[in-house]
Amino acid sequence: MCGRCLEISRRSLLVGGGVAAAALSTGVAQARVLPRDMVPLVGPGYRPTEKDEKGIWQLMDRAEEEISGSNLLIEDPKLTGYLRDLIGTVGGPAAKDFRIYLAHVPDFNAMMFPTGFAVVFSGLLLRMRNEAQLAGVIAHEAGHFLRRHQIRSWRDQKRKTDILAFASMLAGVGGAAGGVYLGDYVQLAQLGTLLTLFSYSRAMEAEADAMGIKLIAEAGYDPRQMPTVWQQLIGEEAASARYRRKRRQKGSLFDTHPSPDSRLADLRLSAAEVTVPGKLYNDYRARYLGVLGPFRQTLLEDQVKLNDPGASQYLINTLAQDGWNGLLRFYEGEIWRLRNRPGDEERAAQSYAAAVLYADAPADAYRWHGIQLLKAGRTGEAKAAFARYLTMKPNAPDAAWVRQMVS
Amino acid sequence: MIKPALLAAAALALPACSTLGSGESGYSAFAPVRVHRVSVGDGSLIVTPPRPYNRFRSISWEDIREVEDWTLNGPYLDGISFVTGLKSDRYLIRQRRTASQQVPKFRANMTPPEIAEMLESFFRVRGGAVDFRTLGIQPRAFLGQPGFQFDYEHLDGDELWRKGRVVGAIVNGRLYLVLFDAARSHYYNAVLPDFEAIVASAELRRS
Repeated sequence: MCGRCLEISRRSLLVGGGVAAAALSTGVAQARVLPRDMVPLVGPGYRPTEKDEKGIWQLMDRAEEEISGSNLLIEDPKLTGYLRDLIGTVGGPAAKDFRIYLAHVPDFNAMMFPTGFAVVFSGLLLRMRNEAQLAGVIAHEAGHFLRRHQIRSWRDQKRKTDILAFASMLAGVGGAAGGVYLGDYVQLAQLGTLLTLFSYSRAMEAEADAMGIKLIAEAGYDPRQMPTVWQQLIGEEAASARYRRKRRQKGSLFDTHPSPDSRLADLRLSAAEVTVPGKLYNDYRARYLGVLGPFRQTLLEDQVKLNDPGASQYLINTLAQDGWNGLLRFYEGEIWRLRNRPGDEERAAQSYAAAVLYADAPADAYRWHGIQLLKAGRTGEAKAAFARYLTMKPNAPDAAWVRQMVS
Repeated sequence: MIKPALLAAAALALPACSTLGSGESGYSAFAPVRVHRVSVGDGSLIVTPPRPYNRFRSISWEDIREVEDWTLNGPYLDGISFVTGLKSDRYLIRQRRTASQQVPKFRANMTPPEIAEMLESFFRVRGGAVDFRTLGIQPRAFLGQPGFQFDYEHLDGDELWRKGRVVGAIVNGRLYLVLFDAARSHYYNAVLPDFEAIVASAELRRS
């Protein structure tokens, strides 16, 4: 008889099995986590009692020592005090126990560590339009701690990899005994384990979203601002991808977080649920802008100089919804100048010319305005702009070069 | 974190090369540069190092011909890079057209502040710098042309402050510059005299 007919080819096994494992782990879209189900699992002054959690806390305490001494941190007391007050407001039962650090990194990110200290990146502060949005992100991180995600994740990971290790060992022993090669099944099992770990992680991120929106609504922040954060991020990613003529990454099985699109959809529904009719909600935009103050220029500079024109333009236009000013016009010009496609020099020149009409134009705007005028052959006006620059910043780093241009 | 050497491929390949080690296979990403006149980059610039140096061997297609990197103590601590004859509308490094963050092109009508910002973008986009401070831009003659000197320092993702100096000029529409970047603590001051000697010795190949 055809003994080979029953043999599955190795390739078809791996491909077919991989598809099956993937299908198992996605299945139907995960059901939305309801905010009302999110109760804190820790109280104030929480300390671990179980051995594995104690071990993790020891490691994390060492990590916190290193992070708190890192020179990537921004130590401005106004900003750090503001963040501390914020997490004190939306931190639920553990509000007094949280620590929060601000790192000078131009990405949109924030993370919570198992011992209750959080790190927020400066790129996040650029993208938040008001205090409610920032509170939403911080409350999400607090949610991770209040729902004990890190230890649950650790235990889930240990359990699943233990099962995998044991099963692989059995497969090796049994396979050898039976004369059958089971390596491919082991590979599939590895993939399956990985996928369920990522899926578990996505479920916990969804829990943190639900807990977060509940916390900010209770604190009096407008809960609809939380889905708006994701709307803004999607817009930014789409603009960035569109500029580079590629598709925005929609998400993969290996994502540790649900896609921004699904987070947006779920949070919109959750926002409606947690809104108490008749209660007054606020987004405290003015207070937020007041605290950021001069730091905003640093944030814009960090972002614009990464030369991601699609994303930077989207962010500037979003911020300009609250009104154009010299600062935003100047950085708009910077985006064009760095983009440097045909015609961008003229666009940049126009933006700089617009920027210097405002009272709040930064000194650099005059210098760049001067350079563009110089290139356009308008030497007299260029010298005037350079002179203004030198008046505003007599000790500018490039004063020597500018003086040469003026003379 | 990625060390801001202009040869991004070599910087990324560095951990792999160090595990290979020169003892086991005899391969090293570095080649010695002896103390005599040597042409760098695409061959149009000639310099003389004051002591033996190490240069990155160009091994992959990712390297830009016009850029060459040297180091004395290793790329994480110090580096001297040469940009020789970079034409207008060219990039300092190879990057994918679809990369979201990109280093801007060089244009022949760039003023020194624009060249400085191109380098700053390089450090932020490719070099992992989270904070970049310009310390000075001043006129300085280079290769017999009115050029510029650009001083800066930056904090990288590996938490190390690095300090740098660039001396450059645009000659016949092409960019020539020598870039020195080193750890701010000790290495910058220790290797700066070497950099100045190399810049003083720089000459264009007459062809």
